Amino acid sequence: MIQMNHVFMTYPNQVSALSDITLEISPGEFVFIAGPNGSGKTTLLRILFGAERPSRGEVVVNGMKITERRFNRVHSLRRTMGIVFQDVKLLRDRSVSENIFFALEVTGHSRTEARRKTWEVLSRVGLQERGRDSVLNLSFGEQQRVAIARALINDPPLLLADEPTGNLDAQVTTEVMEIFTSLHKKGTTVLFATRDMDLIQRYPHRVVYLSEGKTVDVGKGIER
Amino acid sequence: MISFLHYVVRRAFQNIRNNLFPNLTTIGIIGISILIFSTLALISLNASAFLKIWEEKIEVIAYLRKGTPLKEVEGLLEMARQIEGVEGVKYVSPFDAMAFLESKLGDQKNLLHGIWPTVLPPSFEIQLKREYRNSIRIREVVFRLKQFPQFEEIQYGQEWVETFSALAHILWLTQWILGGLFVVGIVFITSNIFRLGLAARHEEVEIMQLVGASPAFIRIPFYLEGLLQGLLGGGLAIFLLYLLHKVFFLHIPLSIQAWLARIPVQFLTPTMTLWILIGGMGLGFFGSLVASMRFLRYN
Repeated sequence: MIQMNHVFMTYPNQVSALSDITLEISPGEFVFIAGPNGSGKTTLLRILFGAERPSRGEVVVNGMKITERRFNRVHSLRRTMGIVFQDVKLLRDRSVSENIFFALEVTGHSRTEARRKTWEVLSRVGLQERGRDSVLNLSFGEQQRVAIARALINDPPLLLADEPTGNLDAQVTTEVMEIFTSLHKKGTTVLFATRDMDLIQRYPHRVVYLSEGKTVDVGKGIER
Repeated sequence: MISFLHYVVRRAFQNIRNNLFPNLTTIGIIGISILIFSTLALISLNASAFLKIWEEKIEVIAYLRKGTPLKEVEGLLEMARQIEGVEGVKYVSPFDAMAFLESKLGDQKNLLHGIWPTVLPPSFEIQLKREYRNSIRIREVVFRLKQFPQFEEIQYGQEWVETFSALAHILWLTQWILGGLFVVGIVFITSNIFRLGLAARHEEVEIMQLVGASPAFIRIPFYLEGLLQGLLGGGLAIFLLYLLHKVFFLHIPLSIQAWLARIPVQFLTPTMTLWILIGGMGLGFFGSLVASMRFLRYN
């Protein structure tokens, strides 16, 4: 599903974000990308969803060799994955369902199909009752669930999450983690970047630890 | 395809409605820019029309030597008509010249009492083809006419023709230089206005890119929005120009109005109006295209 071979990323200001990363993630895996601030977690995810091009190395995601010079189908790549961020990136002047509908409409779904799917994905994250509410009236945890629902609109086999629980309290974090766990159980591959080591200890998944742009440890989380 | 077009149109209108204030600002700025440009075009159109009226008056008068036999005049007329650049030649006998003088003097024609028409020389009034009515080409015709010994003097109001040609040239240059500068300025202003509009909607664009909207789905509604804004801006400019044109006639002194009555002060022709609207649309499209290069790049 994901292959990274000797990937380096150096920004134009000569700051090295990733250094010689080699990683393979199989379909159906749940992988924590762990590490402190500035360790390169976000850069790694940004490379995987095509927002950055590595300075060197080869990256294959969902069968697409995205490091090829002529690769220009970032939008096709993104339809094969869902992306969730710490800052939820919702349209604050719209309702919950309008946020989902918007994402469906701009990805070419017909209005009828978009309406049907909006409520379907909202029910998958338990927010069908809040569909008509403005996103401003939701708690941060609920907003994050809307962001997860939006990430599911293309039924992606891969979910990339960049510290989605970073701003949440323990209880809401558990709720959000349950959604990710449930999606993983249904076969979705999840890449979950976090610096919360307690969270990692609570879930028995593979951990890729990044420090100063290097993979320093690859192993399983502590079994519950 | 139909659903895509439906999406594009709906999205463009939604964008305009959801961002009404920035859109109205853009339309206003495009409108004012086009108004300045079309005012220049209108002034230039009327100045050209005014110069054309003068241009019609450019002619050459060739005075015949006294005593040139009439039978020779016939042949000379024919030869003058053959000269390149000559549109028509009219023979003016001394009697015709006297009648003309009398008509010009009006009530004071008594002044000519006792003067025999034969003191006036017969002449040829030579009308020129349009392309010969300038200071350079008129000389070609005069040079040919001077080859005929029967002509004693040839007049064409050299100073007048030269002033006219200089004015026409200055107007033509002003039109293109000022017009060109305005177009560059307008394109610069509108593309920046579109950039600001896009920057205000960066969250929406970011989400579209995040969920994998194809570049066509992101860009084409934005271009259509630009076209519509340009069309509305162009329409606004024409409407304001029409008002200005009307107000201009309401507030000018009667004496100037009387003078202007002899010169047709016109509004933009339908073709020019259409071109201004098309230009506005082009401007809107180009502005959105330039803005999209930076702000709609997939990242």
